[in-house]
Amino acid sequence: MNFCAILLLLTFAAPGWGKEPEAFPDLNLTDGQAIKEATRVLEEEVKLAARPQTYVLIDLATKTIHIKGRGVDLHRIPIILWASDSRDHLKGIHKLTTRPAVVRRKIEPGAGAEQEPISVADMPVDYVLTFTPALTITVVPSAAENNLLKGALFLSKAWWRQTKTWAGTVFSDQSSKQSGQLQLTLSADHAQSFAWSLVDGVAVVIRRASDR
Amino acid sequence: MGRILLAAFAVVLITILVMKAPTTTPPTPGTSREVQQPRVEEKAALRTLQAKYKTLSKQLVQLMPDQPYILVDTARNRLYVKRQGEIVLDAIASTGSGTILDKPGEGNDQWIFDTPRGEFLVQSKITNPTWIRPDWAFVEEGLDVPKNAAERAEPGVLGDYALGFGKGYFIHGTLYTRLLGKNVTHGCIRLNDNDLKGVYKLARVGTPIMIF
Repeated sequence: MNFCAILLLLTFAAPGWGKEPEAFPDLNLTDGQAIKEATRVLEEEVKLAARPQTYVLIDLATKTIHIKGRGVDLHRIPIILWASDSRDHLKGIHKLTTRPAVVRRKIEPGAGAEQEPISVADMPVDYVLTFTPALTITVVPSAAENNLLKGALFLSKAWWRQTKTWAGTVFSDQSSKQSGQLQLTLSADHAQSFAWSLVDGVAVVIRRASDR
Repeated sequence: MGRILLAAFAVVLITILVMKAPTTTPPTPGTSREVQQPRVEEKAALRTLQAKYKTLSKQLVQLMPDQPYILVDTARNRLYVKRQGEIVLDAIASTGSGTILDKPGEGNDQWIFDTPRGEFLVQSKITNPTWIRPDWAFVEEGLDVPKNAAERAEPGVLGDYALGFGKGYFIHGTLYTRLLGKNVTHGCIRLNDNDLKGVYKLARVGTPIMIF
C-alpha cells in the first residue's frame, strides 16, 4: 500500500510529467514584456476561439501566420519578412473589410463541357487588406522568387509604396496616425494561399515581436 | 527488504521535491534595502504574469475539440479527421469550384459555388442517399426546373453515405473520382468510397467540421 502511494507521488513529482499546455512554446518565461504581449494575445484569442469560426493569428515573434479555429492550428504560413510603422495599431481584434477581388468564371448553361474552376493559382501574390479598427496589411511576394524584370517591378512598387507612405506622413498628418501599416513578405505560393484562406469579416489578432 | 526499498523511494522523492522547489538566492552583501525592493516587486509581477499566461493557455486548450473533428483544406482539396491534433484519416477531396451561374429571370441574382468556410457540425448521417437535384442542377444543364418533386430525385450518385452539415451541404461520394483533388463541386465535399466510409465511421452527429 505504502509502495503504491510512493509510486503515485513520484508520478506527479517527476519533472516534465503532467506538463501544462503552452500557447506559445517559443515564449521566454523570464521576459516580462514578452509574457505581457503573449497574455494580451491569448486574451483576444480565447474570445475568438470560444465561437464557431475560423480566425487568423499573425505571430510576428515566430514569423508565422496561423489559420485557426477553436484554438486549433488549421494551417500555418511562414512569413519571410515583416515591417510595421507602429506597434500600437497592431493591438486588438481586427475584422477584415477589404480583400483582393476574385475573378470568378461564369457557367454557360447547357454548355456541356466542364467549366474551368478557380484555384489557389488564381489568387494574387501582391495585395492589400484593410481592417476595422483601422489597419492595413500589405502582402508582397519575396523578390528572391522573381526573375530580373519582375524583381525590378517589385522594387519600384515597393519604392512607390514607401514614397506614398512618407508623403502621407508629411502632408496629411492624419492617414498614418489613424491607420497602422503592416507589410508581410511571403513566398508567392504562400501569398496566394493566404489570400485564399481569407473570408469577409475574418478576425485577425497580431502578436507583436519585442522591440528590435 | 521492503523497508529498504521504501527508504530508497523516500530519498528519491525528497531529492526530486528539493530540486523542483523554487530556488532563492541569498541577498548579496552590501546591497541596500532600497535597491532590493523593486527587484522583489518585479519578481512578483513576473510571477503574476506567468500565472495569467498559464491560466489563459489552459483556457485555450479547454476550447479545443476533445473529440475527433473533420478538417477540410479547400485550397489543397484535402480532408482530414483529427483527434487531439493527430491525423486519423487523410483523404483527397473535391471542394467548391468558385464558379457562378445566373439565376433565371430578371435581376442580378447568382449562385456562387463555394464550399462554405468556418466551423460547422455534422447534422445528419445518411446511408444510401438520394440526390434531390436543386434548381441550379437543371439551370446549369440548360433544362427547365421541374414542378414535380419526384423528377428531382437521383439515386446512386452520392455514394453509400452522406454527412450533412447544413444549408444543403454534404460530405458525400462521387462517380467522378478522376476529379478528386480539384475544385470542381457546387459546394459539397466529395470523397472516394473508402475514405467516405472511414469518415462516416469516425464522425458522429455533432462532430465539428472546420473548413478553411
